[in-house]
Amino acid sequence: MNRRAASFVLGLALALLIGGGLWWWLSSRAGGGSGRTAQEESGQPAEKVAFQLYFPADGGLIRIEPRELSVPSAPKERVRKVVEALLAGPQTRGLVRPFPEGVTVGIVQLSPDGTAYIDLRWPEHNEPPPGGSTEEMQRVYSVVNSIVLNVPQASRVVLLWNGFQRESFSGHLDLSRPLTPNQALVAR
Amino acid sequence: MKDRRIRATLVLFGLLLPMLVAAQGERTQPQTPPAAPSRAPMVVLSGREIAVPVSITPNGPLFGLSPIAAALGGEMTTDESGESVTLRVGDRDVVIAPGSAIVTVGDVIISLSQPPTEGEGGLQVPVDFLRKTYGDLLGYAFEWQPETARLVISRRGDRELGVSLDVVHLQGMTTVVLQFPEEPRYRIQRLPGTIVVEMIADRLTPPSPPRVVQDPLVQNVTIEPQQVRIQLADGVQAASYVLANPFRLVFDVHPSAAVVVPTRPTEQPRDLPGIRTIVLDPGHGGSEVGAIGPSGIQEKELTLQIARELAGKLGSTLGVQVLLTRYDDSVINHDTRTAIANQNKADLFVSIHLNSSLGAGAHGTETYFLSPQASDKRAAQAAAAENLAQEQEPATSEPVATADSAAQDLQLILWDLAQSRHMAESQRLANLIQRELNQALQLKDRGVKQAPFRVLMGAAMPAVLVELGFISNPEEEKKLQDPAYRDQLLDALARAIGRYKALVDGEQAPPPAPAAQAPGAQPGRPPSGGGAAPAPPQAPKPGAPPARPPARPGRPA
Repeated sequence: MNRRAASFVLGLALALLIGGGLWWWLSSRAGGGSGRTAQEESGQPAEKVAFQLYFPADGGLIRIEPRELSVPSAPKERVRKVVEALLAGPQTRGLVRPFPEGVTVGIVQLSPDGTAYIDLRWPEHNEPPPGGSTEEMQRVYSVVNSIVLNVPQASRVVLLWNGFQRESFSGHLDLSRPLTPNQALVAR
Repeated sequence: MKDRRIRATLVLFGLLLPMLVAAQGERTQPQTPPAAPSRAPMVVLSGREIAVPVSITPNGPLFGLSPIAAALGGEMTTDESGESVTLRVGDRDVVIAPGSAIVTVGDVIISLSQPPTEGEGGLQVPVDFLRKTYGDLLGYAFEWQPETARLVISRRGDRELGVSLDVVHLQGMTTVVLQFPEEPRYRIQRLPGTIVVEMIADRLTPPSPPRVVQDPLVQNVTIEPQQVRIQLADGVQAASYVLANPFRLVFDVHPSAAVVVPTRPTEQPRDLPGIRTIVLDPGHGGSEVGAIGPSGIQEKELTLQIARELAGKLGSTLGVQVLLTRYDDSVINHDTRTAIANQNKADLFVSIHLNSSLGAGAHGTETYFLSPQASDKRAAQAAAAENLAQEQEPATSEPVATADSAAQDLQLILWDLAQSRHMAESQRLANLIQRELNQALQLKDRGVKQAPFRVLMGAAMPAVLVELGFISNPEEEKKLQDPAYRDQLLDALARAIGRYKALVDGEQAPPPAPAAQAPGAQPGRPPSGGGAAPAPPQAPKPGAPPARPPARPGRPA
């Protein structure tokens, strides 16, 4: 009886081990979408491309950080990648992230006329961060310059906040119209 | 033997059970939920059924777009990446990205009840998409009847719309304005020498008597029930755009000569009646606090204090009426600020701000006037045309509207372009302010700059935004809270505005600024005249011409 019981327990444990392994393998195949990148979802191969990202810098300016990003060929996905890289923050000392941690990219649209629509989302924050005009311009033009000067299909940018277009983020720049790059703000 | 069988069965069951659960889990995680079975829905156009694939989803029905576009008119193209589809409806491009509920109609973004998706027969769209495109643009009505699963498409009855015509010629450019009681459905056709505004589903009631047009750039404008024809003179071109509340279709007509962006002011101000009223705009207010200093001081508090003090100084030294856009800690909309200035016929608009930056090391003062980008291509063209006219034409070269009536016309019909005709003078004022601030305060000169600042756009007078220092910089924050330092700053601003007033009024300019004084020393102050407290500004009146700018079309609700 003892031998029988031991054999039964051993067989059950073996079955659970094999079954669990199979379950994990099948589940990882079925739910793999959550960890896939945009290019994998769009079925487009990614390629390494050299970008010049514009980050806020000392002196009220924005400064270029050269960056190599793995991006798909679709212009819209490139726009998204650029903004995601900006929001993730710079890798160079002396540069700062344009928006607080927690701000993410929502919908990205790229119209045939070259207007890129970028929805910046900051859950639980109805209002964009406050600030002076220079601060607002550093935030906004780090995005506008980075998109337009890196993605040839984008010529101007409309920024939305939590899904809505606003007159302004911090009370200065007119964001009700598309913006084009500001080279005067770039550190030489 | 029996025990062995039982054991083998249990082992086999133990092996199969997790596999069955895993397989079930895989089946219950489909990539996209299948559409609910159709109950033979149909689409009926003018009493006749048309073959349109329909999917019923939990969020409502989706309709195949291709057959509807074929029936109602509209060309569909897919962009090179295959990510978005453009549908041409009337004279608008509608850009659809399958899977996204955000759609652009011309320059307007709209949000749909559910995203268009790829389904049977291609792209499928919700009924609100059809209403916002074919309904708004071409006059179709879409009624979804869920109990019978029928979408009934019908043509709205033609409306009779009144239309008024204004033609304004100002400094080398003619503006033709067609004003309607509500937005008509139309398309614009450009023929050689003629622009035709063709009504799609409306009929126009021409004004009576017909307006006779005498203009160097526009030969004639004829209004018929089905169309408006604008006949242009030789060698001119026209750009069109719309303004809202009330709906206006505007054509800027100017010579085809190259247009340059304005970069330098004219040598002498022209057609300015003098500086009698100045509006100071304390930046931010209420919940919009602006910049915040290291000690916690908020920009909105200091700007109000500075504006109040400057108002007293200007009132006493220049003998002008000085108004503030806000007298307390209240939220004032950007457009309302300039509306206050316009309504009170202000001659100058000065928006007072304090700065902050990301990163370290920013300090100093800077003064902004509007950049041409702010009011986009058409404003740049208008401003450029104005500057071109100022540079090339003698003052009496051709009949122009008087300054007052022209300004009023602009305020009435071209709010969006209000600042464009004053940019040269705004730059002159900005230069004077920056020069005086530099000489008096000896801070870092960040210069005169241009930016698309919202608060400057609607000002129908020279307008600047002055940044009086960085309160994100601890040293400058401390200085700005020092009354003696602020007095120096106020004196510099008052001198700059006084010099500008002297230039405009044709008076002798006051002497240049004294050398900078050490902080804490009593600055040279102009004789005190007591300076009556500024009167509250006249609030913008609803419906009065420049009281409020028109709401921009296309703001997402």
